[in-house]
Amino acid sequence: MKKQLMSGNAALGEAAVLSGCTCYFGYPITPQNELTEYMAKRMPEVPGGTFIQSESEIAAINMVLGASVAGARAMTSSSSPGMSLKQEGISYLAADELPAVIINMVRGGPGMGNISPAQSDYLQATRGGGHGDYRTIVLAPSSVQELADAVPVAFDLADSYRNPVIILGDGMLGQMMEPVSFDHIRQEKVYPKDYILTGAKGRPARKIHSLLFDTKLEEEHNWKLFRKYKGMEQNEVRFETFLVDDAEMVVIAYGTSARIAKGAIRRLRQENLKVGLIRPITLWPFPTNIIRETATRVKDFFVFEMSTGQLIEDVRLALEGRGHIHFYGRPGGVIPTPVELFRIVSRHYYQSQQVKK
Amino acid sequence: MAHLDDFEGLTPAWCPGCGNFAIKKAFKEAMVELGLEPHQITIVSGIGQSGKFPHYVRCNTFNGLHGRTLPVATGLRLANHGMPVLAFAGDGDCYGEGGNHLIHAMRRNISVKLFVHDNQIYGLTKGQASPTTAEGTVMKIQPFGVQSEPLNPLALAVALDCSFVARGFAGDGDHLKGLIKEAMDHRGFSLLDILQPCVTFNKVNTYDWYKTRCYHIEPDYNPENRVQAFEKALEFGDRIPIGILYRNHRHTYEDGIPMIKETPLVKQPFDLSAMKGILEEFY
Repeated sequence: MKKQLMSGNAALGEAAVLSGCTCYFGYPITPQNELTEYMAKRMPEVPGGTFIQSESEIAAINMVLGASVAGARAMTSSSSPGMSLKQEGISYLAADELPAVIINMVRGGPGMGNISPAQSDYLQATRGGGHGDYRTIVLAPSSVQELADAVPVAFDLADSYRNPVIILGDGMLGQMMEPVSFDHIRQEKVYPKDYILTGAKGRPARKIHSLLFDTKLEEEHNWKLFRKYKGMEQNEVRFETFLVDDAEMVVIAYGTSARIAKGAIRRLRQENLKVGLIRPITLWPFPTNIIRETATRVKDFFVFEMSTGQLIEDVRLALEGRGHIHFYGRPGGVIPTPVELFRIVSRHYYQSQQVKK
Repeated sequence: MAHLDDFEGLTPAWCPGCGNFAIKKAFKEAMVELGLEPHQITIVSGIGQSGKFPHYVRCNTFNGLHGRTLPVATGLRLANHGMPVLAFAGDGDCYGEGGNHLIHAMRRNISVKLFVHDNQIYGLTKGQASPTTAEGTVMKIQPFGVQSEPLNPLALAVALDCSFVARGFAGDGDHLKGLIKEAMDHRGFSLLDILQPCVTFNKVNTYDWYKTRCYHIEPDYNPENRVQAFEKALEFGDRIPIGILYRNHRHTYEDGIPMIKETPLVKQPFDLSAMKGILEEFY
């Protein structure tokens, strides 16, 4: 497997190209500019490849909509403030059942915030984000290799469900450089696109729209989407477990936090503290079952995220009152260190042991 | 009477040599000469190197979202039209992301003073083409050159009958100061496009590039002739006119609202008893 040293942002770009993405539209925003830069240089080398620096994020997501309607694999990317602007387009993609991949390299917020890594867009990503009853699959990689791995998966999921898919990274994953391989990325599956606009010669014209004045039709459309989302919940949950088998306390963290947690857990294990990790890879659909199953044996769960507490809501819903939830979060673009988390978790661990005695 | 130092804010984090320093200097001088004090004015900005401007001068500051400078300034002005409201934006901020808002602010003729730091590049995100970058220019994410026509903000403004249209150059500080004062004194919406070299990322539109091209608009030029102004606005190449290109005396948006004719909204008494009759009618 040939590896090359790349930034996370650039790796996302190369993986998209290899996954068959021919249309990329973006607007400058830190800390994801390297992805836009990469696509600017790379897209012209791709047959049919198109790159546009749009006039705004709203323009970019609507260009994606147009490219998707025409049948292309289309992608856009941004960081938190720009992602907020894209939400109306994502709502339309979901309503019109159009595939697209949207990348959010999250930074500190709310408002303009700063350009440092954060995980404060969790709820926006996992609850649809825009208006209406819809969901998007959300993938949360935690290394440069995983960013590259997530892209072909995202395009395939988008095409197979005809739904927008979000890759939720952060400024750290985007900026850091790690060895990465793209050898495994192949476009094998062909998706029949019997809905795209290709001209109507010899057949009735196709009309793609989300305007359904008849409330009964709109309701039926919502139930149809709902059934699709239920299918995603059944089939697309992805997660990783790390040293959970004998754990007495289980950390739940995703993305960059999960990396930090692994470092902390290795230290905790050296001290013979039995701590493990459940890492949601899909943030939606959320790995509820593994957490619920683990709760039959483990009582202490420790949610760790770079926000004041968003992932914790899904953990609460998964546990439904079973077990005890500990929490450590730091918002505003601060990246906690493994040593810092080691100290906090060990304190909670010992305190829980005291209670159990 | 305020002094130049009274308008001094935080130490700028702009690159040494940035055209923004000259804009800041001209701004401070203009405010002092107009007899304004820092507490009397509000500056709204968005995102970009221009967005930092109100941090680096002393004034009432609102630094908001990218491109949304003018809607915020409009709200401020309608709530308190007794206070001068200045908007500082960049070419990316105001001609790209917020282009739509610019069009409608000019239509409304709300008395907001818009100063655009136009460096023909995105400086904050480190060197992408902006709406005013010339076609064919090779930039970080335009490796084969910009493929779109540049936006001509002044021609756009004249076409929309914007009530004050001017261009200044950061390398001509005294002239720029005069334009800022004229923009401030004008009744209605003012657009002052300020050519401002980005010394770090824009290696094309340098001080020399502008200096060899910029010339002062002739003293006998009549800025109230719209057709002539449009012709002047189209001039952007080997020669770039700086000065007031166009001015008219349309009524302002504030003029059209009878409720605030006498007193700004924020200065009006809040008297719930005035609603009594209406409440009784419904309950």
